[in-house]
Amino acid sequence: MYQQQGQGHPLLSDEDLAYTVLSDLKRVVGEYATAATESSCQQVRQLFTNLLNSTLQMQGHLYKIMEQNNMYSAASPVLRQEIQKQLQQNQQTEQKTDQFLQQLGLGQSGFRNQQHMQQHMHQPQNQMPPQYQQQGNQQHMPGQNQPYM
Amino acid sequence: MQPLTSKELEYLVDSISNEDLLIKQNAVMAASASNSALKQAGMQMINTHQQHAQMLLNAIAQHQQLAPTQPQSH
Repeated sequence: MYQQQGQGHPLLSDEDLAYTVLSDLKRVVGEYATAATESSCQQVRQLFTNLLNSTLQMQGHLYKIMEQNNMYSAASPVLRQEIQKQLQQNQQTEQKTDQFLQQLGLGQSGFRNQQHMQQHMHQPQNQMPPQYQQQGNQQHMPGQNQPYM
Repeated sequence: MQPLTSKELEYLVDSISNEDLLIKQNAVMAASASNSALKQAGMQMINTHQQHAQMLLNAIAQHQQLAPTQPQSH
């Protein structure tokens, strides 16, 4: 299937055309995130946040189209033992951090107990620790009253 | 709403350039891609990026009246 548009030869392949747009969408996502973090006016911050989400959505959509048309191959799956290794190492790190917090009298023990881990794994859309989820649901914006700049 | 900082204005202006470039890139993709899904995505994205550019322009316009006319000391 090779529809010509009646204006001669395409200069770039479909793959190159899509990749050009995709890489610019990725770049713009990064710029909107930076712009939002550096905004003082709440309305401007909200605008950049909305544009960030909208751009992320387009990037994800275009990526899926490219993947479905074999224009983009994702990295190969990681081996299970590598996941195990990283999980163990990072659980230890978090245990040490828990101990550190407890020494300061700030400990909330069992921050990474098995129950939490499983909740997180089965709810990929809800990856914030429980203490932040409530704020997230209320759309609480930390910079609402005082600028962070 | 607060007066725009120089940094915010720069981000808004840079973002308009970015959106403008994406409109054009998507126009090229919509016009010359042979894959119909890519063509359609290109056409949809032209609209969305045009809306983005308009929102950015509106934000600048809305802050016009709030802006001081003399340099402010910090």
